[in-house]
Amino acid sequence: MLKRRIIPIELLSGGRLVKTRGFHDPRDVGDPVKSSKVYSDQDADELVLLQIDREGRQLVALVEAVTRIAEYCFVPLTAGGGISSLDDAAGLFTAGADKVLLNSITYRDRSVLTRIAERYGRQAVVAGIDVREEEGRFVLYSRCGRQRESVTLGAHVADVVAAGAGELMIQSIDRDGMMQGYDLGLLRKVVAASPVPVIAAAGAGHFLHLKEAFDAGADGAACGSLFNFGDNNPLRAKSFLKNQGIPLKRI
Amino acid sequence: MPALLSPAGNLSRCSKCGLPETYETLEFDTQGVCNICRQQEFKHGAIDWAARKTMLEGLIEEYRGKYDYDCIVPFSGGKDSTFTLYHLVKEYRIKPLVVQFNHGFMRPNLLANNERTLRRLGVDAISFTPNWKLVKRLMREALIRKGDFCWHCHTGIFAYPMHVAIKFNVPLVFWGEPSSEYTAYYDYRDDAVEEVDENRFNRFVNLGITAEDMRGMIESDFPLDPRDLIPYSYPPLRDLKRLRYRSVCLGSFIPWDVKRQSKLIMDELGWQGDEVEGMPPGLYSYEKIECAMQGVRDYLKYLKRGYARVTQMTALDIRNGRMQKEEANKMIAEWEGKKPPSLEVFLDYLEMSEAEFNGIVEKLVVPPHKPDFQTIQWGRRTPDFERWYREPKN
Amino acid sequence: MSIGIVDVGIGNIGSLRNAVLSQGWDVVSVQAEDDLEAITHLLLPGVGAFGAAMEQLARAGLVEPIRRFAMAGRPLMGICLGMQLLADRGAEGGDAAGLALIPGQVVAMTHSHLPLPHVGWNEAHQLRPHPVLRGIRDDIDFYFVHSFRLAAGDATAVLAETEYGERFPSIVAKGSVIGTQFHPEKSQTNGLRMLDNFCAWDAAC
Repeated sequence: MLKRRIIPIELLSGGRLVKTRGFHDPRDVGDPVKSSKVYSDQDADELVLLQIDREGRQLVALVEAVTRIAEYCFVPLTAGGGISSLDDAAGLFTAGADKVLLNSITYRDRSVLTRIAERYGRQAVVAGIDVREEEGRFVLYSRCGRQRESVTLGAHVADVVAAGAGELMIQSIDRDGMMQGYDLGLLRKVVAASPVPVIAAAGAGHFLHLKEAFDAGADGAACGSLFNFGDNNPLRAKSFLKNQGIPLKRI
Repeated sequence: MPALLSPAGNLSRCSKCGLPETYETLEFDTQGVCNICRQQEFKHGAIDWAARKTMLEGLIEEYRGKYDYDCIVPFSGGKDSTFTLYHLVKEYRIKPLVVQFNHGFMRPNLLANNERTLRRLGVDAISFTPNWKLVKRLMREALIRKGDFCWHCHTGIFAYPMHVAIKFNVPLVFWGEPSSEYTAYYDYRDDAVEEVDENRFNRFVNLGITAEDMRGMIESDFPLDPRDLIPYSYPPLRDLKRLRYRSVCLGSFIPWDVKRQSKLIMDELGWQGDEVEGMPPGLYSYEKIECAMQGVRDYLKYLKRGYARVTQMTALDIRNGRMQKEEANKMIAEWEGKKPPSLEVFLDYLEMSEAEFNGIVEKLVVPPHKPDFQTIQWGRRTPDFERWYREPKN
Repeated sequence: MSIGIVDVGIGNIGSLRNAVLSQGWDVVSVQAEDDLEAITHLLLPGVGAFGAAMEQLARAGLVEPIRRFAMAGRPLMGICLGMQLLADRGAEGGDAAGLALIPGQVVAMTHSHLPLPHVGWNEAHQLRPHPVLRGIRDDIDFYFVHSFRLAAGDATAVLAETEYGERFPSIVAKGSVIGTQFHPEKSQTNGLRMLDNFCAWDAAC
């Protein structure tokens, strides 16, 4: 039986890992290579590394980080943040990434998504969708929460899946760093609309939140603050969830 | 699988030993018995201890006489490291280098124990005391991020002796109890020797924070020299491999038995237990005597997870058939859950108010537990309270 | 020991290379027949379509040399598509002949209700012991990414099975040849252990 996944998210900025709140106020949470090795030693199921800088040689920095991380971590690694071409993706795959995450480009030119999926397989392509709740409606944002998009959530999910995304990572900007739980309403909506696996992101503050996300249909629960600002690690999460009847991988 | 989601404040517990679901790595099986209990069953029933003893003999002989010391024994002076040192010296006549990482909170009785132990055994010992100003800053950061201020201690204790191993060219390192005695990060049922290496360091020792991580977390407000964090960083694997290091727990080769071992060191070395905050005096006087901040540590656990040391100690006794659950529950109700007097000292070190402390801890509570900050009473002072270090007032 | 990894463009070998190095073995890139001489063990990784991969191997002049390597009793391990290439024939990318070292055909996974590809952590039920499984408990999870699977022609060659809508061979072994449908270099501790076991194996069983 396929297991659910606990997926630490690492945000790369200026060569360090940071954690944000509502996509603002980055706080240092460690060194990218050391932290990744720690997560790997703590039996994380997968890692997501997202470059959040948009100035300078940020893609080069991302490739560098992936290359160094891949020397020590033997778990599936997803890399993203500013990917806008097949070449960008190719560089990351060569460096050691197993999947790439695309967000902004999926609003501007979905053919990039298609080309990556055709070359590497759709299971190697994750579409990241960032959402704010405004006046009771879900509004999509690109460019790290800076650009409001007009396409509806349902339409965009359909678009990216049709274009080749093998997985979706759905992130609530409002919940980012708040440790109050995932936006379950948002999650359920996407799970219902998506034929591909969905990873919930943003909001986990304790292990019960992970259970809630899995019960709402998430295949993976991505966590940032949970492991950086709590006495938690993936191993403890696994024990807790196992006691709640949610099986995770057995090592 | 039994339904285990419990209402807030009412925790599911192991049907055998009573440890609650918030205990790290605890997993219940279909009978509601926890994996720690099952590990102990395996330890007593299925491990070939005769074969392990033979392995130990082989290991010791492999390294004996070839270096300036036969091995390093990391030593805090608590019951486990004292027994480990005693056992290796007395049973195997090894020549150890004793390495102590001084976390800064050594109690007077412990210091007296150490002096007595080291003199009676006749061994070389070195002790390292890290930069106190840095220690205070590290405690604060670890408290905020993890609700566990002992980062410097966890990392120093496990990393520093490895630096010494490299510097002194002594590859064999003997630790004491295997972690599978208390948690399931490593499992007795794997029937393997627990390797005390960087993987283990990352798995749980360093709370998931390496020295390199910590650097970026404190350098914006603390005058940090990058070399300051060396004692807390695990040395590079290539240096350890070049040394041909082997870092293992004595408890992987002999079955760990704290009651028997504590009695042994009391009888043979005059090792003395001590009163410890939050514990019934006299009953577990061998437990965790080495640190003046142990009470705050346990208090944090209680606030975050709803249990503390009395629960853990009685669980061990229940598991070993030395106590009934009713007696344990009575003891827990009477002694657990009080505010330790050491909290006052701790807050003084960190220049923090109790309100700030509670505010930090509140964010780190592990559900389904819910602490009640209002009803907690002060606990009893230990006799040496007045002798603990206090910062000068000016 | 010298561990060769087939490197002819059928997938990125970086992770596998790092994984083997992390276990302390020496790694050599194998791109032509001559490279096979000095190595003691051969790893055949692969990602992508069966037909295209066999073409790449043929272009590098490696098809017969790899067969001879294995039939001479030298240890060979196929990973993911690499395991599938060990079969007689494969359907993905047009029907093509494989290395014919493990009897069977590679067919599409055919179940209606589960999404493809099969991606994620799934358990391998061990059917019998083998040196490459030393220290690996039964029903441990490994990381899978595939849409096709081996339909084994010889049940005795199946070392472990996994279930995803259907039961399929996740580990195969015959003579000095091993295959894993999952990626050991992405399966952490147990994957690394399996690679280490393979590199230490003298091909006897």
